[in-house]
Amino acid sequence: MAEEFEPKIVAFLCKWCSSAGSDLAGVSRMEYPANVVPIQVMCSGSISPLYVFSAFNKGADGVLVSGCHPGDCHYIKGNFYARRRLKMVKQLLEYIGLEPQRFQMSWVSAAEGTKYTQVIKDFVKELKPLGPQTKLRRTT
Amino acid sequence: MAKIEDLKEEAKKLLREGKVKYIIGYGVGGNGWTAVPVFIKKPEDVDGLIWDPTCVHNLARFLVDEKRRKAKEKQPDARPVGIIVKGCDSRAIVVLLQEKFIDRKDVYILGVSCEKAGVVDDKKLAKKLKEKKPKKIELGDNGQFIIDTDGGKVEVPVEELLAERCLECKANFPVIYDVLSGDKTKRAVDKPFGSLEKIEALSSEERWNFWRAELEKCIRCYACRSVCPMCYCDECVVDSINMAVAADTSAEEKAQKIKWIQRSSESSENFVYHLVRAIHLGGRCIDCGECERACPLDIPLRFLNKKLEKEAKDLFGYEAGFDSSLPALISCFKDDDPEDFIR
Repeated sequence: MAEEFEPKIVAFLCKWCSSAGSDLAGVSRMEYPANVVPIQVMCSGSISPLYVFSAFNKGADGVLVSGCHPGDCHYIKGNFYARRRLKMVKQLLEYIGLEPQRFQMSWVSAAEGTKYTQVIKDFVKELKPLGPQTKLRRTT
Repeated sequence: MAKIEDLKEEAKKLLREGKVKYIIGYGVGGNGWTAVPVFIKKPEDVDGLIWDPTCVHNLARFLVDEKRRKAKEKQPDARPVGIIVKGCDSRAIVVLLQEKFIDRKDVYILGVSCEKAGVVDDKKLAKKLKEKKPKKIELGDNGQFIIDTDGGKVEVPVEELLAERCLECKANFPVIYDVLSGDKTKRAVDKPFGSLEKIEALSSEERWNFWRAELEKCIRCYACRSVCPMCYCDECVVDSINMAVAADTSAEEKAQKIKWIQRSSESSENFVYHLVRAIHLGGRCIDCGECERACPLDIPLRFLNKKLEKEAKDLFGYEAGFDSSLPALISCFKDDDPEDFIR
């Protein structure tokens, strides 16, 4: 039997919430797919659209950006900026023909280890039928 | 009809009294009928200024160069620069003012209205005239272009020759000016984003094929970036060549500089380049169409920028280039911004 496709997800996690949330999932020994490469960032608002494009270019099958719930940002309003900016990124990626499921965003607080595992589980489930991301991947 | 004569008087006065350093405008090009940008320093040269439907260039770009030049001068000339602007160019100036890149007192804006018309698309013109060589193009009084060719006069309704962007223009008169020539009349536009419809109607896969075919052609000459009045960063993220180097920048720092994109043109990286450019222009592009005009491979770049313009309007109710006192699109937010895509 052919091996099942395992998508590679690059997750940009906010240091103050989602990253702590993923830690909580870890120390609580919750099970979730091992497809994620987490990258800790200081704030979801610090994520440049270029990070997202570059992740796809360097071989990610999916990109997740996760930050604090609105109103909970450590820097007061970083996640509001992120929300606006990344919505534009999402629309643009969809417009050039990338599958919309490949770029996702979530709000995960430091206490939501369960939600984090759920987000990853859902993301992986959605990516599997799509197969590898070849559109923006560098070939050389 | 906007008369350049009105502006010539003003331009002469400005230069004679030394109120402006020089005036950026349009003059007659080498072929005798298309406009080229000219820089006028002496009052007697003002007669060389022209205004006709071949004035396609966005002269606001030269304000960026002017600022760079001024920064290098030991004793900078504090006088403003005079500039002739169309509707779209004036919106570019508004965005530059909004981003505090230039100061209002650094420019003296001589506005000309496109008077319900706009500029001609040279490809459409060549197609229309077939073999005939144009000698002069004028805007007639009844919404037609009067083209003087070597085979006699030809009259064509403006809609047939106007550049795509002019057909979707939001305001074909300057929104900011010190002196204005012509009326502030707007041509009715049914669908300001009509040109996007045929791409948006395609399926995801078809859109991908369309963009891949277009962007594969890109040779990354960066002409679109060079001509864009909004692309004014000293250090551009897409190539490491123009990294801002100070006296204390060490060799290690230079070597460690992140190279987000390789310099050779590779299809996937062409995508990254154009996506980055599009997103950087999201909520800033004023649709002057210069990128598309400058592109040697005729990539329809306008469709990328126009799409984000549409999203900015639909999602956030934001239109670039009308009010320089507003914060820029991505440097502000609303509590009720769309959130449906977030888990």
